Amino acid sequence: MKNKKWSLFAILLTFVLILTACSGDDSGSKKSSTEPKDTEKKVDAALFPLAVDNKDEAVEGGTLNVALVNNAPFQGIFSYAFYEDAYDAEILSYATTSLFDVDGNFMITDTGIAKMDVDEDNNKVTIKIREGVKWSDGEPLKIEDLIYAYEIIAHKDYTGIRYDTDFRNIVGIEEYNAGTADTISGLKKVDETTLEISFKKLSPAIYSGGDGLWTYAEPSHVMKDIPVKDLETSDPVRKTPLSLGAYVIDNIVKGESVKLVANEHYFRGEPKIKEAIIKVVPGEQIAAAIKSGEYDYVSNFPTQQYEAIKDLDNITILGRPELYYQYIGFKLGKFDTTEKIVKTDTNAKMSDKALRQAMGYAIDVENVASEYYYGLRERANSLIPPVFTSFYDESLEGYKYDPEKAKKLLDDAGYKDVNNDKIREDKDGKPLQINFAAISGTEADEAIVSYYLQNWKDVGLNVTLTSGRTIEINSFYDRVEADDPEIDVYMGAWGTGTNPSPVGLYGKESPFNYSRYSSDKLTELLTDIDSPKAMDAKFRTDKFKEWQEYMAENSPVIPVTFRYELVPVSKRLKGVTIDYAVPSNFHEWELTAEKVPAAK
Amino acid sequence: MEQQTELAIMPENNNSSSPPTGMQVIFREFKKDKLAIGSLIFLITLFVSIFLSSYLLVDQDEVMKVTLSSIYAEPGEQGFILGADHAGRDVLGQLLIGARNSFEIAIAITVITAIIGIAIGLITGYFGGFIDNFFMRIIDFFMTLPTLMIIIVFVTIVPKYNEWTFVLILSLFYWVGTARLIRSKALTESRRDYINASKTMGTSNIVIIFREIMPNISSLIIVELTLSFAGNIGIETGLSFLGFGLPPDTPSLGTLVAYAMNPIVLSSKWWIWVPASLLILVVMLAINYVGQALRRSADAKQRLG
Repeated sequence: MKNKKWSLFAILLTFVLILTACSGDDSGSKKSSTEPKDTEKKVDAALFPLAVDNKDEAVEGGTLNVALVNNAPFQGIFSYAFYEDAYDAEILSYATTSLFDVDGNFMITDTGIAKMDVDEDNNKVTIKIREGVKWSDGEPLKIEDLIYAYEIIAHKDYTGIRYDTDFRNIVGIEEYNAGTADTISGLKKVDETTLEISFKKLSPAIYSGGDGLWTYAEPSHVMKDIPVKDLETSDPVRKTPLSLGAYVIDNIVKGESVKLVANEHYFRGEPKIKEAIIKVVPGEQIAAAIKSGEYDYVSNFPTQQYEAIKDLDNITILGRPELYYQYIGFKLGKFDTTEKIVKTDTNAKMSDKALRQAMGYAIDVENVASEYYYGLRERANSLIPPVFTSFYDESLEGYKYDPEKAKKLLDDAGYKDVNNDKIREDKDGKPLQINFAAISGTEADEAIVSYYLQNWKDVGLNVTLTSGRTIEINSFYDRVEADDPEIDVYMGAWGTGTNPSPVGLYGKESPFNYSRYSSDKLTELLTDIDSPKAMDAKFRTDKFKEWQEYMAENSPVIPVTFRYELVPVSKRLKGVTIDYAVPSNFHEWELTAEKVPAAK
Repeated sequence: MEQQTELAIMPENNNSSSPPTGMQVIFREFKKDKLAIGSLIFLITLFVSIFLSSYLLVDQDEVMKVTLSSIYAEPGEQGFILGADHAGRDVLGQLLIGARNSFEIAIAITVITAIIGIAIGLITGYFGGFIDNFFMRIIDFFMTLPTLMIIIVFVTIVPKYNEWTFVLILSLFYWVGTARLIRSKALTESRRDYINASKTMGTSNIVIIFREIMPNISSLIIVELTLSFAGNIGIETGLSFLGFGLPPDTPSLGTLVAYAMNPIVLSSKWWIWVPASLLILVVMLAINYVGQALRRSADAKQRLG
């Protein structure tokens, strides 16, 4: 009995020793490869190709395995009229498509399902859809489907968040929203393939799908009978969405994966890969999954893990600058849900501009970008991503890491440490505690959040996490949107979409204006950017710059990073391009091997 | 005749399970089992050294400070004896404080649940009848609850909590097991003749329960406490591993082990998770060896000595 136990103990010990020995060896061999780390820490972002170069012969059949990197389940709202986050949008990009194609400058072209003619003088846009375009159930796409999308979003019972300032630009839509009109008078069906939309005013934004132009259709033949208030939870949105795109959703495992099958009615031609599976993969596991050859295409790859995949021989890493900025927002008011406008509160905790700017100067984004992201992120200086070359203001200073400046700003504004505990009190000498909400993510994300908190503490600000820890992304945005009083400051990110016009995110009537900041000057600038006068390119560029300066000066939100997007693509996938200028080409993708190759 | 047998049994009963003899049995049992005595010495040394070093040598704020320049520093580099994690935080410091937290929590939970559990168990077992029924239904209710789920939900909705609120939340659920066990033993014990005798002599219930029944089942209590202590260390580390344990800025063994969920850390950054896993393994084994020796001494049939 006793002997047996001893031998058990001995076996355990040996087991443990072997384990440690193994990993010890591993680290020994790794050492040589990690040594030149400092020199190659910064990666030249321009080195990544935009398209894969695969000349192998394609094989029949097979399944496209797509990984969607996300540390939370996806919401599963599969309709452009209702979806809220980028993960659903990513899945939607396979399972339906915009009516229009865009070029490299995100201007609408004629190659998509629809094309448009703009009549600037009469504020009218004529949309003509191709003949013979069908929904995935074989039903033809009708003009009614286009009109129906507007009718959902502008409906008084609409539960989503897209009825914003832009939308009110359509003639007759406010009457429809108020319930005094049954139809939207500005939308006129001319014939079976032509729709004429009357706007109150037109601006250059119309050419990139702004000004209230809605670039998606909803299948009215299946949705018509469902009341708008139930639509968001209905089957055509959650379970069996119809598609105009390359693939159709076939099966959904809620929050985990989506199985897609090729849409035989896709207007560009049925995709060559007949089946695709999109799976949610946690950030920590993606590098190992790529290595063992589980996925063909990885979207939302966390660039922090670049080091782990850069030498793999079974993938090609594509890269492009992303239409994205990460920012820190300050809660400065509330959204009045009855009047549907932003009400800025001058007594909010964060209403002092100096305090906000000090928080911006206090965080060491530069080091985070180079240590965790290998230079694939950079300190953002503006609220317009540099991809929009003509509107992006390079000359803006941005908030460079400068703790001394932060301290000085706080001192001057009256935030002083009166009781010598190294924590500043507010202007009246009362304790100042700032609640910071952050999205939970990989361990590195958590470490970055702790680092920022530490940075703020170094300049004497007592910033603590709302609810004591980082928040899961879905409930984070729910709480930010609901103006949770527990949140004073939050760190979020915007995928800006292809229309650079900022009114949708910062307008007085926009629910997306999460910082709830609005002023006459801001409204004026936003109106100018999308005004008829802005048809003059120079005027628009100037106003864009003026707006960026205004936002930098008043800092209701502080840009943190711009991001470079990496897309690891397996070596068996052919025809993939992530060039913004090339319209979606899922139907041309091919597989050149039966199995996803694993790394050697 | 009847009285004689009773008298004959009573002293014997008193002898075999009265506290001093119990302690002697335990002592004899340990002397026979080298593994148990080794484990006991190891545990005591470990506890003393962890508590002393974590309180005297390590500053939690200093340990949890994110230092970008020492991300994944290997053991020995930059003065980190056990290396640093993905945020450049000292693993050794986290290990010491984490172990201390786990032990403190386990001790606190064990003490609280023991006090509640033993008191309720003894009272219900002794009185029986309505009181027994009443408390047993409450215990049944607690037992049907999915404890782990409730704790997780609780931790998620309570915005700010620390080590001690965490202990209270856990104790709320973990006293029932002890109570049930003690009750069943107290139930048989309270039907014994010496209790009846004591009752006829007019001893008050409280005295009977805590001065007479409790010492007589003390060996069982000791065993129960030791084993539940081992379990309670597991509770905190397990919850932290899942991300529902202590607040994120508090180091924990569970958090250190959870870093190994990242395959890269698992395969090439062993210094982050191996020490914590080893510590948990060794402590659990040691407590169990000690617990087994205690259990044997509580049961005459299994005794070695």
